[in-house]
Amino acid sequence: MATNTPFIFLDHVTKKYHLTGQEYYQALNGITLTIHEGEFVTIMGPSGSGKSTTMHIIGALDTPSSGKYSFKGKDISLYTPDELAEIRNKEIGFVFQSFNLLPRTTVLKNVERPMVYAGVPQKERTSRALAALELVNIADKANNLSNQLSGGQIQRVAIARALVMNPSLILADEPTGNLDSQTSHEIMDFLKSINEKGRTIVLITHEADIARYAKRIIRLLDGKIISDTKN
Amino acid sequence: MDYKETIREAAQALRRNVLRTSLTMLGIIIGITAVILIYSIGQGAVRFITDELSSFGTDYFQINPGSSQVSTFAGSEALTFDDLDAIRNDSSLTNINYVAPIAMASETITANGEEDELLIYGITHEILDILKPEVIEGEFITEDQEISSERVAVLGADVAEKFFGEDTAIVGETIKINNRTFRVTGVVESSSVLAGGFINNSLYIPIDVVINQIIGEERLQEIDISVHDSNTINQTIADVEALLRDRHNLDEDDENDFQIQSAKDILSTVETITSLLTAMIVAISGISLIVGGVGVMNIMLVSVTERTREIGLLKSIGAKEKDILTQFLVESMVMTLAGGVIGIILGVAGAFFVSLAFKIPFVVSVPAIVIAAGVSILVGIVFGLYPARRAARLSPIDALRYE
Repeated sequence: MATNTPFIFLDHVTKKYHLTGQEYYQALNGITLTIHEGEFVTIMGPSGSGKSTTMHIIGALDTPSSGKYSFKGKDISLYTPDELAEIRNKEIGFVFQSFNLLPRTTVLKNVERPMVYAGVPQKERTSRALAALELVNIADKANNLSNQLSGGQIQRVAIARALVMNPSLILADEPTGNLDSQTSHEIMDFLKSINEKGRTIVLITHEADIARYAKRIIRLLDGKIISDTKN
Repeated sequence: MDYKETIREAAQALRRNVLRTSLTMLGIIIGITAVILIYSIGQGAVRFITDELSSFGTDYFQINPGSSQVSTFAGSEALTFDDLDAIRNDSSLTNINYVAPIAMASETITANGEEDELLIYGITHEILDILKPEVIEGEFITEDQEISSERVAVLGADVAEKFFGEDTAIVGETIKINNRTFRVTGVVESSSVLAGGFINNSLYIPIDVVINQIIGEERLQEIDISVHDSNTINQTIADVEALLRDRHNLDEDDENDFQIQSAKDILSTVETITSLLTAMIVAISGISLIVGGVGVMNIMLVSVTERTREIGLLKSIGAKEKDILTQFLVESMVMTLAGGVIGIILGVAGAFFVSLAFKIPFVVSVPAIVIAAGVSILVGIVFGLYPARRAARLSPIDALRYE
């Protein structure tokens, strides 16, 4: 927990989704939240609580309607779509619940993909992708098509891809939602070990036993933080 | 962005749905095939006619009676020997090499027990230099025979074969035209594809004999004029035209009652017709390309919708708008270029078979191929741009949430 500047700082962030005409849906209702580098934070809440919207904003996939979002000390709430893409590419690794990998594409090509957008040359892409796959013990499947993998294997490849750009933040959105409990715990152990090596992890889940892997649990309800506890 | 990787990936995406891709490419394939095929055939035809005409030379022109080609044989507006002599005797027409009149008749020929109706050319010896047939037996009509109005006939090779069979010496044989006996003095054969048909199927007789003993009236179907210098042929043509208009008492507003045509004119007529035809076909293929392009746009829109979540995923791992735009644009360009290449191959192959079947030169126009390939890519860009932009501008969360 290195510097004084917060790693992630949400300052009275709101998010409105426009429906029809004047009507809108208020997904976030003024969230203020600080996350420091190296933390392992779980955001919990029932559906409609705003946890996904919070994750989208933290993950630079979306911007707040009002309030500020500082990422590593920079206010990125007014960044353009391409500037946000750059942040996602270099700073954030995503692990989703489903549809993590490009279908009918090899595992290796999937893991190489973020480096394609970063302009990494082919040779380096391959060696870095293989190293990342090695890290999650799935290098032997490098040339398999993504649709030939089991759910647990897919999540491991997704973690490898999330790590391959060496990002400062891993965002995992219900990463164990489709897995049996044994595989779920394997995946969580991976994430935990990654965090122990110093990487910040923000995890979204509604399963209590998954949330327990984190050091800090933030609960949301109706677009507001209702509790923020150390684990 | 890695372009080799992008192109490879686009090709892979298109191969996943071979049927859909090929159906989409069909419009492009048809359009490009049509353009290449028609353009190649047109160029082949022009080349063919150019070769033919230049084998006869560009140093002569012909005058036919009548204000249009149809009336050449109608006879109301005639070319006469007086016209011929006037041209011959005009000392100001210094570029003229010689003037060769032709009187034609169609008569029943009897020989060796066979009978047939054939075209007879009443000619002077100079016509040999213009029609350029090969004298394969005996000799052509001589100046002496013209002067003495001898009843001699030179036969086209096909005529000779028809009456006397193949490979027989026939000089000295006789044929009958309207029961008058003519002595055969030679056989000619032309290898020209265009003119060989009638040259080999006709008889050649001194013009005075045809006028006086066969037709019975003084009417010329053609006057061929050879010039010394083909570069100034147009001036000579204008001079002859003025001379004839004057002789025929034509007012300034009157149209010519004769036609003058040079080999150059015929060539430019052919070129005009060919380029008109080509332009028409190109326009029609243009419609096919537009229809094909709309098909491409349609399928690309479907593809963008189908791959919305994929686009969301790519955006989440850092794809910028330009990256997504490039990916879909390259995909539609690869599709239309592939269609174009198939069309080019089909068009060239088709032109090859047409050239074999019709014995015209096989012309492959490299500029046409390059333009066709360029146009196919252009269709891919124009019709792929909107779907690609739509993909590029999807918001990452909308795309990720898409069900």
